[in-house]
Amino acid sequence: MTRLSFTLVLGAVVSLSLPAVTQAQSASAFLDQGIRAYSVREYDGGAWLLRRALSVEGAGALNTNDAARGTLYLMAIEVARNQRDSALAAARRLVVLDPRMRPDDQSFSPQVIAVYQEARRSTPSVTIRAPGDTEIKPGSGVFVVRLGSTTAPEVTAVVTGADGRVVRNLYSGTIRDSVDVRWNGLDASGNTPPAGRYSIVVTPAAKDRRGAWTLRLPLEIARPSVDTTPLPPAPPDSLFRPERGDYKSAWQALIPGVVAAGAIIVVPNLVAQGEQASNARLIVGGTVALAGVAAFFSHHPGQRIPANEQYNHTLRETWKRNVAETSRRNADRLRGATLVIRPGAPSLTTTDTP
Amino acid sequence: MNRALALALFAAATLPGAASAQHWNLGVFGAPQIVHSHIDGSSSRLTGTVFGGEGTLVGERFSVRLWYAQGNVAEKSDSGLDKRLVVEGEALVGLRATQWLTLWVGPTARAYTLGETSQRWLLWTGRASARGTLLPDRMQTYVELWGALSGSVGDPSAKAGGRGADAGLELRLSSQTPLWGRLGYRIESSHADALRETVESITVTVIYGFPQ
Repeated sequence: MTRLSFTLVLGAVVSLSLPAVTQAQSASAFLDQGIRAYSVREYDGGAWLLRRALSVEGAGALNTNDAARGTLYLMAIEVARNQRDSALAAARRLVVLDPRMRPDDQSFSPQVIAVYQEARRSTPSVTIRAPGDTEIKPGSGVFVVRLGSTTAPEVTAVVTGADGRVVRNLYSGTIRDSVDVRWNGLDASGNTPPAGRYSIVVTPAAKDRRGAWTLRLPLEIARPSVDTTPLPPAPPDSLFRPERGDYKSAWQALIPGVVAAGAIIVVPNLVAQGEQASNARLIVGGTVALAGVAAFFSHHPGQRIPANEQYNHTLRETWKRNVAETSRRNADRLRGATLVIRPGAPSLTTTDTP
Repeated sequence: MNRALALALFAAATLPGAASAQHWNLGVFGAPQIVHSHIDGSSSRLTGTVFGGEGTLVGERFSVRLWYAQGNVAEKSDSGLDKRLVVEGEALVGLRATQWLTLWVGPTARAYTLGETSQRWLLWTGRASARGTLLPDRMQTYVELWGALSGSVGDPSAKAGGRGADAGLELRLSSQTPLWGRLGYRIESSHADALRETVESITVTVIYGFPQ
């Protein structure tokens, strides 16, 4: 690696360590440095820089024009490095990215133009163009991509998940010149898919025998967080009242009353033997015994307690109402939530792609 | 003296526990009293009423209880000769053995004037008091039994003994108030040589705060 190439790569590596906020600038900077490296014939460093620029995804990624420009120069660098397969792959990618962008004979060698022409001949002329980051309301909003072709192929377009599973069929038919494919942000069941990586995949219909190819537009789907209210917990058992009086509690109330009454009546004879205790104690003892009996019956042993049944019923119904109300509000909020769709750079694979 | 010192030390040790009190209560009471007094074979029956106050500091394990009463008792066929001014008091420290059982120890004193002379009973007592709930936070009963560990009466003092009991019902006056009412029956019998006194009381108490 020459000194200049080393300097270019070193500068790029340093820029890698910068905060993510500068990622968009970094992708553009890599692109500029890569093109500059091509112009001074520092092909190895230039290839590295351009690949780095094209690999940036998400918000910091190059726009379609810059991505096409970067791919064009990458193709030229690979031709200069005698990496024909890589050059052809870059040329095919360029055809998909922007069919209007092509190497001009003023700036590029005849070999570069020849590779590009070969790629154009062998690449299905199907393109996909997506808007920038789009925020839609699932169900009512739409995300539109434009499929273009000059050969009127029969195609199907679907949205797939990261695992390749089809999330939603979007289009099935012929592309005459161009067709807008719309996705309302819902899956086949009418639900909003979870955030993650998806793709719009365009493939030729089975009856199209002009060769197998797959055009893929990566999508990153984000769902801005929605504040939902946690469902109220079920009332704890401690809040419920017994619906039937139990004997255990009743006896537990009666026994202290009877014991205390007995003590009041009996103990004076033990404490003051031979003394004639007054009958006043019988009044107190009797009162305590009556209190114990009253406490016993206040527990309604073995009987239904309608007031408690009603109280518990109201408690349960109130909780159920609160759960239903909270669920309804949460569902409303989730329905109103938006979906952010960030398309990436499209790619094309064919049966003869290296 | 040694006993007093030991009690003072015990009280000092328990007070920090009581200081971190879970709760306390104060009460005032009136108590009709019947005194059966037997001196050298002669008996007399005196009646009257005492009034007083009490307070309890209840800690996690230990409690402190003070009780004081004062009043007059007299013979029914009162000739004016046997009318007594009565003063009673207790100072107890307690150990909460279980949720419902507390063990107490401390002095209880009863003194009365009889004409120009006075008589004083001082008993060191050990007590056990139990409580049972009839309706949670509304109504409960209690029973307390005690016996004298040692005691003295008169001047010059003679050795004395005794035992007693207290039991009754405590009722919260309303669910919105911290006031409780207590109806209790209290009996104590003290004796020394040819002297024996039995005191019966029905106490009606109003208490501020949750009774222990």
